[in-house]
Amino acid sequence: MRKIIGIILLIIIAWGIITSLQEMPFGTSRAKVADHYINKGREETGAANIVTSVVVGYRSLDTLGEVTVLFLAAIGLGAVLATIKRKEDRDTEKASLILSTGCRFLFPPILLFGAYIFIHGHLTPGGGFQGGAIIASAFVLMYLGCHEEKKINETGSIISESLGGLVFVVIGLIGLTIGTRYFLNNFLPKGEFNTLLSAGIIPIIYIAIGFKVGAELSKIIDLLMEES
Amino acid sequence: MNEMINLNPVLLIVVPLGLAFLTPLLGLISKKIAKWLPVVGLLFNLIVALAILPHVLKQPIIVKIAGFAPPFGINLVAGPVGMLLATLIALTGLLVAIYALKYINEGAEQKYHILFLLLLTGATGVVLTGDIFNLFVFFEILCISSYALVAYLGNRAGIESAVKYLIQGSIGSSLLLIGIGLLYGQFGTLNMADLAKQIVSSSDPSVFVPMVLMITGLGIEAAIFPLNAWLPDAHSSAPSSVSAILSGIAIEVGLYAMVRVLFTICHVSNFFMFFLFLGVLTVLVGEMSAFSQKNIKRMLAYSSIGQIGLILFAFSISTHFGVTGGLFQMISHTLGKALLFLSAGYMIYRTGSMEISSFEGIGKKMPLTALFFTIGTLSIIGLPPFVGFSSKFLIIKAALAKGELLYTILMGIVLLGTVIEGTYFFRVIQTIYFKGKDVATERNDSPIVCLISMSIFAVLIIVIGVYPHLVMKILNPAASELFNSIQYIRSVLG
Repeated sequence: MRKIIGIILLIIIAWGIITSLQEMPFGTSRAKVADHYINKGREETGAANIVTSVVVGYRSLDTLGEVTVLFLAAIGLGAVLATIKRKEDRDTEKASLILSTGCRFLFPPILLFGAYIFIHGHLTPGGGFQGGAIIASAFVLMYLGCHEEKKINETGSIISESLGGLVFVVIGLIGLTIGTRYFLNNFLPKGEFNTLLSAGIIPIIYIAIGFKVGAELSKIIDLLMEES
Repeated sequence: MNEMINLNPVLLIVVPLGLAFLTPLLGLISKKIAKWLPVVGLLFNLIVALAILPHVLKQPIIVKIAGFAPPFGINLVAGPVGMLLATLIALTGLLVAIYALKYINEGAEQKYHILFLLLLTGATGVVLTGDIFNLFVFFEILCISSYALVAYLGNRAGIESAVKYLIQGSIGSSLLLIGIGLLYGQFGTLNMADLAKQIVSSSDPSVFVPMVLMITGLGIEAAIFPLNAWLPDAHSSAPSSVSAILSGIAIEVGLYAMVRVLFTICHVSNFFMFFLFLGVLTVLVGEMSAFSQKNIKRMLAYSSIGQIGLILFAFSISTHFGVTGGLFQMISHTLGKALLFLSAGYMIYRTGSMEISSFEGIGKKMPLTALFFTIGTLSIIGLPPFVGFSSKFLIIKAALAKGELLYTILMGIVLLGTVIEGTYFFRVIQTIYFKGKDVATERNDSPIVCLISMSIFAVLIIVIGVYPHLVMKILNPAASELFNSIQYIRSVLG
């Protein structure tokens, strides 16, 4: 009986969403905000990557919020796990030779690749979040391969996550005090289009986000690894 | 006009956010600083909000983030409603943060203070933003910090209720996001004023479906019946300072977002009868469940559901009077319920039990705390001269002004809820003061810092109760802002 009711409810919801979807103009230029981003994005933000011009330009406050959400996730997990008693050490199997050698070998290139992704966030696909996630993946590999000897540096991770967030906020506040006096206003010169030093504050913010996201995701992995 | 530029409403969001990011860094230097940062941040917010408030009564301040004109960028709308609620959040947050200086003394304290500050930042963001997706982002900040804070004590009940809250809250957020996505797909904009301008009628299925999804999603956070299953557990197993914020701020911010969607974005006019009944039902369910509770915090939590029902009822009367009453009831519930949870917090701490029966004779042992608790209950019940009386009176007046038999009958049912409320609260007061053997007990009241924070709540409850026109000056323009969406659209889009 419960299943039947569930299915009927799902059908009603699906019907509703489909009716709504049918109203959407796909492939036409009725979406005026999106058109504005495509046509004016380059001129207004100076970023070659339109996604970046939206994420760190037009909707930068959302990005500040998303960074905070991740920060919260890491802090919240830490707060909850702090109260739970550590379990006895489980039997763990030592990583195989291939994994432990591979992780030493791959760790630096992955970090470099992550840094490349977030530094070039305003030029090529990717950005602070993606670069940070790649950096965190290097730490996953390290934990899998050579957990016995290596751990993340806690002070370093705290410093990079706090400074990352603070740089974002402070750059925003500088924009509020100089120039056109808008929060997160792009007060730096936009530079030559499609070069590394362009788009004003966007690369700086993305680098800060990269450090922050990398540190936070690594911390979450560290917390979960310690507990399991 | 120079000072208005200096006091940009965006500071209310950004400064606490910056302080929260700074906290772990300062934690490396000294462990003791963390607990002062929420106090500093919220004091700053309160001062800035009070400075901005008089300006927005004449004309809302539109803050363009990064200088992009709406609808292309994100904008904040610091109108009377937003600034009224932002002030209320800063004030309640500050007093609860002062209380927590002493109350929070176990667990990962530094993380508690970060989560607490971010919860209030999220709430401030929700009430100030003029962009529907930005509202979702701040709403997530609010919700995720609440999940973590409910589980803060790390006991079985806390973790269990936090997981329940997490699951239901995440479903709510997903529904909200789907609703926003469907609206964006159709209208190509996320700006609330621009959406409001383009939406002609909320009865059209293509608008109705996203609206239902959004209202359901927000209704879970606002704990409207039948979406309130998570609330009693979550509010009762969190630390009392967190319960005060969850009951006083979090659910009301959920309700605010709901009202904003209904009044401003969708210009609903034909579904208010539904919400009217839902409100009455929420009042009855909340109050009747509270009546049968033996655990003080669960009782207060169910009473919050009843109060939210009353606020929803007031908004659904959908007259200027009704909306004013709803906003006023929000203020009086926040002040009253925060005071109740804070005073109950130390009563529980001293007796070591949440059972109401264990509070026998506590009126002699903790006279001031018990007095504050009594003031809180009397205000929530709605007795003069406390603030609860003025706000409930306004709602009754609004319902009667409608002049229809149905409204009078529904108001009668709501008043029945108030009678139930009075019964169970008086039962607690009786236990505190008049039960138990008359043995001379040592006086062992709450710490002085906590008493100061509670006394400010009590003074506010009495002062606003005696001089309601102090807040009416803000409530009237606030109600007009919600009621007159055309003016809202014009002030944002120019």
